This record gives sequence, C-alpha cells and structure tokens, in this order.
Amino acid sequence: MAEENPLDGSAPKHYGVIGLLFSSASLSVIASALIIYTLADGTIDFFRSEEASIFEFITSTKWVPNGLNPSFGIWPLLSGTALIAGGSLLLAIPIGVSSALYLSEFCSNRTRKILKPLIEVLSGIPSVVHGFFALLVISPIIREYFDATYFNAASAIIVVAAMILPIIVSISDDAIRAVPREMREASLALGATRWETASRVILPSARSGIVASVLLALARAVGETMAVTLAAGSVASLHLNPMKETQTLTAYIAQVATGDIPPGPATDAGFAVGSTLFIMTYIANLFAIRATKKKFGNSKNYSVGYLISKLMLKFRYFRNIESNISISSNLIEPLSPNQYDLKRRSREKYSVFLIGSSFSLGIIFLLVLLQTVIESGINGISYNFLTNFPSSRSIRAGIGPVILGSVYLISLAILFALPSGVGAAIYLNEISRPSKINFFLRRTIQNLAAVPSIIFGLVGLVVFSRLLGFGLSLLTGSLTLAMMILPMIVVTSEEALLAVPKGFRDGALAVGATRWQTVRHHVLPNAIPGIATGTILSIARALGETAPILFVASIFSKTAPSGILDGFMALPIQIFFWTRHPKQEFQDLAASTILVLLVLLIILNLIALFIRNRAEAKRTW
Amino acid sequence: METKKIRVKDLSVFYGDVEAVKNISLEIHEGSVTAFIGPSGCGKSTLLRSFNRMNDEIINCSTSGEIFWLEKNILGNDIDPVLLRRAVSMVFQKPNVFPTSIYENVAFGLRIQGIRDPEKLDRKIESSLRDAALWDEVHDRLHDDAFSLSGGQQQRLCIARALAIGPSVLLMDEPTSALDPIATAKIEQLIHELKEKVTILIVTHSMSQASRISDQTAFMYLGDLIEFGDTEMIFNSPVEELTGQYISGRFG
Repeated sequence: MAEENPLDGSAPKHYGVIGLLFSSASLSVIASALIIYTLADGTIDFFRSEEASIFEFITSTKWVPNGLNPSFGIWPLLSGTALIAGGSLLLAIPIGVSSALYLSEFCSNRTRKILKPLIEVLSGIPSVVHGFFALLVISPIIREYFDATYFNAASAIIVVAAMILPIIVSISDDAIRAVPREMREASLALGATRWETASRVILPSARSGIVASVLLALARAVGETMAVTLAAGSVASLHLNPMKETQTLTAYIAQVATGDIPPGPATDAGFAVGSTLFIMTYIANLFAIRATKKKFGNSKNYSVGYLISKLMLKFRYFRNIESNISISSNLIEPLSPNQYDLKRRSREKYSVFLIGSSFSLGIIFLLVLLQTVIESGINGISYNFLTNFPSSRSIRAGIGPVILGSVYLISLAILFALPSGVGAAIYLNEISRPSKINFFLRRTIQNLAAVPSIIFGLVGLVVFSRLLGFGLSLLTGSLTLAMMILPMIVVTSEEALLAVPKGFRDGALAVGATRWQTVRHHVLPNAIPGIATGTILSIARALGETAPILFVASIFSKTAPSGILDGFMALPIQIFFWTRHPKQEFQDLAASTILVLLVLLIILNLIALFIRNRAEAKRTW
Repeated sequence: METKKIRVKDLSVFYGDVEAVKNISLEIHEGSVTAFIGPSGCGKSTLLRSFNRMNDEIINCSTSGEIFWLEKNILGNDIDPVLLRRAVSMVFQKPNVFPTSIYENVAFGLRIQGIRDPEKLDRKIESSLRDAALWDEVHDRLHDDAFSLSGGQQQRLCIARALAIGPSVLLMDEPTSALDPIATAKIEQLIHELKEKVTILIVTHSMSQASRISDQTAFMYLGDLIEFGDTEMIFNSPVEELTGQYISGRFG
C-alpha cells in the first residue's frame, strides 16, 4: 500500500461562506447605485421644469423656493451648511481629542470606567433631542447675552458639536489605547514626560483612528438635519453670522419631507439640493483619501487626522522656540533639573489640567440637558401617556403605538444591517487580498459612510416606497435605516478586526488553518467587544434617527403596525412635531416622549456595555 | 581615583503579591559591561527596568530597597524619573521605532529637551547614528519611514536614539534576541566600542554573548541573585553549583 502524501489533495475552500461574505461587501455598491439613481433622476426632473435652470442654481445668491417669483440659487444653503459644520468641528475637535487623551493616558482605570460611558451617552442622545435642547434652552440663553434672533445658527452649532464630540472621543480613545505599549516605553525611556509621550508619540501613532473619528464627525455634522432644522430656522440667506437665522442643505430637504413645501418645483428642488450635498461629501471624502495617500502608501487612507497631527507638531515648535539649552550640561549634574526641565514639568501639569477640564465640558453639557428634559417631561409620564395614541388634544395625547413602531423599526433594521455589515468587514479585512475589487468596495463603503442621513430618506421614498411599491410602511422605514447604518457597522467592525494582533492570525495560519478558519476561531472572537461597541452606537443612532424616515412615517397613524407593510410612527418623529408646536403643553409632551426614548436607549446601552466590559476584562493581550 | 559605582542595596520588586526580584544587592562599576543571565522569568528584565524606573509605569508594581548612583538613591521620591531616564537610557527587546522618519526618531529625545537649532540637531543626529554604526546605511535617506529599515537596522536606530540624549548608562534588554547573527554581531561590536563612553547593563539569553561582551556577569534564578562576579570567573570556575549547571546548558 502506498503511503499517503501529505501534499496531495486540497484544503477546504469554503466557497459558500466566502460567497456570502463577498455579497455582504457588495451590498454597499447596490446601496450607492440606488442613491445615485434617486438623486440623478429627481435632479433631472427639477432642471427640466420651467422655473429652474442650472445656471441660476450655481450662480444665484437667492434661495426663495415659494411665491410668485421663485429663485433657486444654492449659495445661501451652502453658506448655512459651512457655518454649522465648520463651527461645530472647531469646537468639537480640540475638546474631543484632548478628552480622549485624558481618558486613555492620564486618568485612573476606575475613573475611566465611569467617565467613558458617560461621554458615550451623549452620542446615544438623538439629534431631535439636541434640537429640542437647542431651541428651548440654549437659544434663550444666547438671545439674552447676544443680539440673536429666535432661530439662530449658534445654538445649532453648540448642540451639533456636542453630538459629534462622543464620536471623536470614543473612537480616538480606542485608537490611542491600541498604540503598543512598546511605543510608550520607548518614549518614557528617553526621558520624555508622560505629557510629551502622549502628545508627541501616542497621538501621532494613533493618527489613523483619530482621523477616522474626525471624518465620521464631519460627515455627521454636514449631514445633521433635525437639530439644525429645529434650531437654526428656515430662512436661507447668504451670511456666516452665527447669531442669525440660517438654513442648511439638509434642513431644506427636511422642510420638503415634512410637507411644509407645496408640491411642484420647490419640492423637486429637494433632489437638486440632495445631489449638491452628495457631491460635496463625495469630494471632501476624495480629498481626505488623496491627501493621506502620499505619505502613507499602504496604511489606511485618512487625511484630516494626519494634517491635524502635523499642525499640532507645528504648534509646539512655535511655542518652544526660545529655549536652546545644551544637553551636555546634563552630564555634570544629570539628576537635578535645569530651568528647562522645570518648565517642562509645569507645562505637563497645566496641559493635563487643560485637557482634563475640556473633558468636563462634555459632561456638564450632558447633565444640563438631562436635567432640563427631566424637569419639563417627568410630570407628563403616566399610564395613559404610555398607552394612548397621539391626540391633537394635549390632555389625552399618548405615545403607545409610537413606542411599538420604533421598536419594530429598529429590530428589523438591525436584522438587515448587522450580519451584512460584519460580513463585509470580514471580507474586506481578512479574506480578500489587495485587489482592484477590494479597493473599489472599500472606497464605496467610505463614501457611503459619508452620505448624510436625510439623503437615505429620499432613496427610501423613491426606491422602496414608490419603485418597489412598499408604500409608506414599516418595511420601507427599516430598509432605509438599515442602509444608513450599514457603513457604520462595517467601519467599526473593521477597526475591531484590525485591533486583533497579527500574531493570532499567523499562529493559526501556520498550523494549517484556512483564512476563514483563522477568522472564525481566532480573529472574530477577539474582535467581538469592538464590534459590540460599533453596534451599540449604530442601534442608538437608528433608534433616535429622524431624518431618513421623515418622508415615510405616517404622522397620523393611530395604531401600531401589525404587519411589515403597515404604516408606522416613531418616537423621534413624534418629538420633532411636538417640539415645533407653538404651545407649551405640546413642548412638554415632547419632553415626556424624550424621557421615554432615553429610557429605552439607556436599557439598550446597559446591555451592550455589560457585554463589552466583560470581554475587556477578560482580554489578556 | 576610585572608579564610580552603581550600588544596588536590598532591592525587591513585586508585581502585586508576586516577588519578582528578591532582596538583591550588587555593585556595578562605571565604564564596564555587566551581563544579567538566567532562565526566563528569573527577574533579570525586572531588575534592569529598576535602573531607570520603567517599573513605575506598570500598575501594581512596587519596589523596595535602594539603588545609589551619584550619591543619590535613584529610587527615592526626590528623583524625577524623567530626568533619570535621560541619564540612564534603554534599548528594548523588540525594536520599537516610532512611526515617523529615521531622523525624527533620533531627534525626539533631543526635541523634548528643548533643542530646536536645526544645525545642532543635524550634528547630534549624525554623531549618534555614527555611534550606532548606522550612518553609512541611512545617511542618504534620513527622512524615510523608520519602518522601511530591516530589523537589525531598526534596533541600531533604537540604540542611536538612546545615545542621542547623552546618557551615562545604557540598559539593554535582550537587544539581539529578535535579530539574525550578522545584525547581532554588529550590535555586539557596537557594545564593545560604546563601553568607552557609557556604562552598559545588558540582559541576555545567550551565554556565549554574555561571555563575549561583558566584564562582569550576574546569574539570577527565580528572583534571587545566585552569583555575581567577573565574567571570566563565572564562566570558567563558578562557585555555585546552579551557575555551573546553567552555563553548561543542563537546565533553563
């Protein structure tokens, strides 16, 4: 009998699984195609109409969609968007990055365990709630101290900054903690203080993660709709004055979605505005990718963060120009500090104090917001409120069917998005080798992640509701939301996979495991805490998301959906309409509804946090 | 004049409740190479990290005893570890270059001390790279990514980085364990030359390396210092039976 040759035969190929993973990764291409179809089709219709022309759209500085003599010039909406997004990033980047640095490098493990979830709570607070807070709390304060109008950009800027802060903190913190310990030791062993180590070695090393966080934050700020719609107003004019009323691209589309704009060219203009928004985010993304590529050929394609870390280095150079002390003096008396060392030590002290106090800003914001909502909402909570349907009489109004609508909506959306999102991340990061297809898929997902949420609303309306005939239904709403959170789940899952040490993969491959077996047994189990973090953020976001379903929710629905093709109402939509109501009683109903929404979010977060903390405690690498 | 010494007195290091270094006392002469050998987990790396107080950075780690150097107890609360590490520099087991250029890796330690003058930086960086025998290989690509270097080059870059800050003592924690024989030979040659300028304390797993490069050798076992003396004596006529067994490869 011939002896068996170990090199004969072949390893399992796992065609089925890999095929599934590949399809998951390709879903983003389909989603992108649907977006482009929707926008292009609607935009063409708009420019075909008699009232509109491309020339006017690009050159005119007047945006007056209604009336006898409408004018469609995009510049006022562009300036509004730039004002809000720019202002909020200006606030959130320094606060966010220093908070992350403080959390990961300077506070004790126990403090960190309390503080980090607290900041993450901010991201779980839906944008419509921030809108409520901006309009009914911040705006009055601003009006008292500045010469501001009832609706003003400043109040929107502040809440948008608070909204994007946790994105920056949470993801930057993960990235900073992923910097290998050797890097810290190398720096400390050279006589760097902990502050110098943190700011010059850790921060630049964590660059890719920090940039990822800033990009996500930028996308969210530009695409932020509800808070801006509520707080900044609906008058589009060309200015950059934060004390005045302004309208963003997204806010206009929301105005269309709520039916405040009569049908006709003004409504069709929503698609042209959507296209503009889409092209803007696409170009910004392209720039971001280009700029980093030059310096870091094979590493991840991020740019904004690279620029920031460069800038921060520059900053320090300017500040330290005056000193020029020779090191040879150390050799005479190496252990006693010279003038410059004392300065370094005191700089360390006040730097840490500074980042610590900027960290507390986020916490203070959160506490004030919660206090306001509880104060004005707690009295409205009753059994009747939780079970009745939304009535136009404030005494009888309740949110029973609205709660159920939200729960169904989110459960379906996660069911659609989670498996395909994680599948796509695994395919891109673990299975496929660098290739044109991989590159294309990755680029598509990056772009999809930057698409503002209100645009998904347009797609849901055109594709799921009209084209596929699902109507204004639960199915349409959840598919729309799933599309929106898909790239978020892919991006965070990929980060989690990347954080698993390469040695685990090598070890498994070296004993003859296939790639899929390696992933299945050694990579995925260790990436689960990270994936859970991403999923928490996604669920929270979907539950509080208003913009994409603003088009398809049934505002007058009085019962909960009993099938997936029924109409539905969701908590954030209800909050939006009640907040806008001029009467105080309805604004208080909005506060009560916010309380209910927040309790749901807290329960969800506690579950997910529990899972994550347990996994982190178990982690040995 | 008597040569200066680093005196370790009754040093113990704990990780939580585990005593990793047990009540060790020894004297190291400045301007010499001292090798620490012993099986894995014997506490030699922990001992080495006491000399620049890198153990301070490990949560749970506590130290008792004293290390006298320059008439001071460097473990004392009055000593700033940041200043200590400038005088007692360190090279680690795995090359841990920063993800920046070759130039910036060496410049880092100088920049944090407030040196901004580009000419002075250039000069210092060149001389450190020369001291680390890396200059000829990298002088035309100083601004390339440090990760583009081979493992051996990366480790010499780490040595250059450690030398640039002008230390009096250099700690090396198994600096060649991740390197091939040629790179190892280069680094051993380097240690030989650096001896003139700095006191070197090196942890190594290679007996032959210890015998080639060191003046004195300390053999440790399970946290205890078993034997310490001139390298020649330790390798040729060890007093303790355990030392003899380890050196001849009968355990460990």
